[in-house]
Amino acid sequence: MTIEKHKKMNKGEVTLIERVANDMFLIKIKVAEDFVSHAGQFVSILCDNHTMRRPFSIMNFENQEMSVLFKKKGDGTAYIASLNIGDTVDFIGPNGNGFSVGQCIWDEKTLLVGAGVGVAPVFYLKKVLGDKARLIAGFQNANEIPSCLQSEIDFITTDDGSFGEKGSIIAYFEEQISAYKPERICVCGPHIVLKLVAETAKKHGIPCEVAMEKTMACSIGVCRGCVVTLNRNGKIDNASVCKDGPVFLGEEVVW
Amino acid sequence: MVDLSVNKGKLSLKNPIMTASGTFGYTDEFDDFIDVSRLGAVVTKAISLKPRSGNSWNRVIEVTSGMINSIGLENVGIEKFISDKLPVLESKNINFVMNLAGSGMDEYVELAKICEANKIGAVELNVSCPNVKSGCLEFGTDARTLGELVKSVRAEYSGCLIVKLTPNVTRIEDIALAAQESGADAVSAINTLKGLGMKLSFRNGKFTREQVIGGFSGMAVKPVALGVVNRLKQVLEIPIIGLGGIASMQDVLEFFAVGAEAVQIGTANFTTPDISERIIDELTEFMQNNGFETLDELKERLKS
Repeated sequence: MTIEKHKKMNKGEVTLIERVANDMFLIKIKVAEDFVSHAGQFVSILCDNHTMRRPFSIMNFENQEMSVLFKKKGDGTAYIASLNIGDTVDFIGPNGNGFSVGQCIWDEKTLLVGAGVGVAPVFYLKKVLGDKARLIAGFQNANEIPSCLQSEIDFITTDDGSFGEKGSIIAYFEEQISAYKPERICVCGPHIVLKLVAETAKKHGIPCEVAMEKTMACSIGVCRGCVVTLNRNGKIDNASVCKDGPVFLGEEVVW
Repeated sequence: MVDLSVNKGKLSLKNPIMTASGTFGYTDEFDDFIDVSRLGAVVTKAISLKPRSGNSWNRVIEVTSGMINSIGLENVGIEKFISDKLPVLESKNINFVMNLAGSGMDEYVELAKICEANKIGAVELNVSCPNVKSGCLEFGTDARTLGELVKSVRAEYSGCLIVKLTPNVTRIEDIALAAQESGADAVSAINTLKGLGMKLSFRNGKFTREQVIGGFSGMAVKPVALGVVNRLKQVLEIPIIGLGGIASMQDVLEFFAVGAEAVQIGTANFTTPDISERIIDELTEFMQNNGFETLDELKERLKS
């Protein structure tokens, strides 16, 4: 999963910014010609005078435009939400290693699972894999489903049943495995969703890749602020989400 | 061509811009952003005798104009540093200072011996990490204990010996004087301030609290750091390396104005990974444009 090295300080121009769900925004940024990204990689955006950049999965990259889906949660994301078309975005990236399946010719049937704003990187993977993948996603309610993605998701659940099936995506996960019979599973969402999907995948003997999220200070592997614990062949060690991840094999993460 | 070099006793740097321990890893990561060999020196992540896995999850949180970290000195240990990281630094011609963290007097002495044997040119004693339970902070908060520690390390190590001071003490002058009297070649000030960062959210009738207790750094601490350097300058003869919240050339000049001979850039490396190289360029340009030929000339003018 090694990505070719190059200078990563980037600036891009906002070409679109719109609210696509309750507190969720889509921003498109025109980037330099040598920019190349893979599904599962992320960028860290400088938010005005904030000390810590905010990391976001890349949701799509085509025609030299990078799409990022983000949820307005605090000051940093409020700043990004306040940007206008034509404004400059200062970002570092693409960072980290993406999903392995997005970086090579892949014939495995892949089940993609997204929860909330975590649907972004698996949507990117769906764009890459096309018919070889099925994308399922869970949201709190109908207002939380990004309008730009709704028609692209094959199966949707909402906690309150206001759209699609009622309940958590986890409740339907095994049923989806039985029906689709995937050879690989890729997931992004809250920690608990990753954990449950990884455990279920393991039970079924299906390799599972999880895209993790942690608060980051540097986002380039220096500060050791975003570490998770991995168990690789019995060897317990720390790995940084930003540099060694954000995608890990579910069975290796010490949950 | 201006001369940016710093030569004060054993403290010898080609320019005064260093990067602070814990904010620059072992430098590999910065190859994507700057030419690391241009820096006055890189201070390595703290190195201990044995590898340390650091503290548990939730190690960083942003606060107003800064951040709190509780990494807990996670590092590869000195053996692996010497075998894996040192050759890389040397092959890239990177000037570095090894930051050493022991959990007791014996460990510091052992680390010093290893550095001497491997001809490490400069070390910085981390006697002030706020995030580990035993060891290093105790040394940094008591003048007598610190004096003994510095003396023991000095006996084993002949290179440039820097002591990094914590601001979390009653009278920092006493601690700094103890370091000087015991043979330190320089002090660096300040390490992080003790703090607590919190993010509260309220949803569905329930509060969720995200919290990190640890070291407070970033732009907000600059006035504290300037204050400390200013006080130390009144009592010390050995050079002071200033750090705390530096994010621009203007900040660097402020530290020179209160008597720092060199500076370290810390948290700003996270926000702007190429900031250190940018500051070197800006400082060079400023000196060229304003007729300063040496750094000492510039510092002299700042004092008047």
